[in-house]
Amino acid sequence: MDGRVLLRLGVRSLLLHKLRSTLSILGVVFGVAAVVAMSSVGEGARREAVAQIGALGIDTITVRTRPSEDVQRPSGLRLRDSAAVAAVVPGVLGVAPVREVPLAASAAGRRAEVVAVGTTPAYRLAARLPVASGRFVTDLDVEDRKRVAVLGASVAASLFPFGDARGRSIQIGGDWYDVVGVLQPRGSPRGRPGPIRTRDVNHAVFVPLPALDRGGPGRPDGVDEIVMRVEEGREVAATAEVVKSLVTRTSGSGAFEVVVPREILRQKERTQRIFNVVTGAIAGISLLVGGIGIMNIMLASVAERTREVGVRRAIGATRGDIAAHFLVESSLLTSTGGVLGAVLGIAGSVLIQHLAGWPTALSPLMLLASLVTAAAVGVGFGLYPAWHAARLEPMEALRNE
Amino acid sequence: MGAAVAAGTLARLRGVSKVYRRGTAEVAALAGVDLDLGEGESVAVMGPSGSGKSTLLAILGCLDRPTSGEYELDGHVVSDLEDDRLSGIRNRTIGFVFQSFHLIPQLTVAENVEAPLLYGGGAPSSWRPRALECLRRVALLHRADHRPSELSGGEAQRAAIARALVAAPRILLADEPTGNLDTATGEEIAALLAELHREGRTVVLVTHNEALARRAQRMIRLRDGRIESAPEG
Repeated sequence: MDGRVLLRLGVRSLLLHKLRSTLSILGVVFGVAAVVAMSSVGEGARREAVAQIGALGIDTITVRTRPSEDVQRPSGLRLRDSAAVAAVVPGVLGVAPVREVPLAASAAGRRAEVVAVGTTPAYRLAARLPVASGRFVTDLDVEDRKRVAVLGASVAASLFPFGDARGRSIQIGGDWYDVVGVLQPRGSPRGRPGPIRTRDVNHAVFVPLPALDRGGPGRPDGVDEIVMRVEEGREVAATAEVVKSLVTRTSGSGAFEVVVPREILRQKERTQRIFNVVTGAIAGISLLVGGIGIMNIMLASVAERTREVGVRRAIGATRGDIAAHFLVESSLLTSTGGVLGAVLGIAGSVLIQHLAGWPTALSPLMLLASLVTAAAVGVGFGLYPAWHAARLEPMEALRNE
Repeated sequence: MGAAVAAGTLARLRGVSKVYRRGTAEVAALAGVDLDLGEGESVAVMGPSGSGKSTLLAILGCLDRPTSGEYELDGHVVSDLEDDRLSGIRNRTIGFVFQSFHLIPQLTVAENVEAPLLYGGGAPSSWRPRALECLRRVALLHRADHRPSELSGGEAQRAAIARALVAAPRILLADEPTGNLDTATGEEIAALLAELHREGRTVVLVTHNEALARRAQRMIRLRDGRIESAPEG
């Protein structure tokens, strides 16, 4: 039989009962819509995590001061902790102490909100910062407490939109700095507070650590973070353990946390897997329910059109032809349901992003899979009604009133 | 008669019986029918209700298989053929006309007429011209795009005849084709069938109508599943 004719006939039969056809596919529509929307949320979370961790560096370890409740006895990380890690822990590169403070920066009449990051040359190694022009903070800058600044790409673009920023002056938090370098722009996650706090280097200004004197009373050597990179081939988790026990001893307090992106990524993957299983289960259940609805409607249709089956058999249709007619109808129903569901799911995912503010991402593979599954449900649940129709004896079918 | 069995025989039934099971009871619709059908012959089958007329037609038309006995159509022993082959025979060799027309309601008249071609292969582009040609033949061309529900009884039966003709079958089987029509319209349909016979088709007509039956070359009477008499027409 000609496939196009078969399709046309199928569409014709379905359009004969528009309301019934529409109602019968609702299960599939909502099932597919729910799965598409949910998986877009999952995919969005996954991509965000990957982006965040990518910005952080998969092989980095960050030791970070916890905010202290006790103002009288401020605890937290100090420069000597950083020095101890650099001296003792094997297999770490570029151990860099970091102080950071959000400040207003201005230059040539333009203003920008920046994060001023005081650090040492090691930071460039730890965070793999690519310098676009000029240079990064040097050891000499740190020793001499020089007022020099290296601008993130976005900062450079907004403060010095026309021409090179190098050699110009910039005022940060009331102090003047000379711009000595500009960093290359780097892909960064959206500015949404996530489980991992990442530094957006594009909006940062790097200065020598002593220039950003934020140690506070009694803690001139306090730092916010110690950032380092683990050498290739070294176990990140094991190194993190070594760092943790060392810093616990040197700092004499537990007022810090060790952030290991690789571990966070693993944890996220585990969560993701659970989410995927749940999504899959919902998909399975809703498609099962949708499929039963389709089977029900197809059985009703076969019963109603028994005489038509008899006529078609009388004019030469084989059992296979009859089965094909009904299978085409049921898979047309579910495919239509799949397409409508996908459209609804995409709309839902856009809505979720706008209303709930969750990042969503649609994967084409997921969309394709849900469409194929919907069509397969039509074939699967259409099989029994089609078989039922094909098995009718022509004479008995013709006598049916 | 022995000579007639030779070259021109299209269908041959030998001791054909058909037993239906209704619960525990067995009903013999046909009980040992012998019948030869010549190529180009026209035969009327008469008999009271329940005498097995429709069953005989169903077996002749390969819609049903005999419980016992042998049926040979165009050199094939039908009882031996698999279901798909029977479908092929129904499609190409046999044209059915039913008492209640049996048009498919959601299709237009033209689509109903071309429906057999869907199962017969052939280029889809040739279907519509062939269907329209058959509609012209039964003078129903002006109704080609109408739905069956918009047709009168006579028109519906003409559409059904056009459908029976579209695959150019050698046998036309008509099961009380005028049973649902008034006398004048029935006459029209009878004339049409007679004309189709004159064009060389083998026509088997089941009817209650004595006048209609007399037009056939041969009339056979069935009673209780047996042929009562088969006088030459």
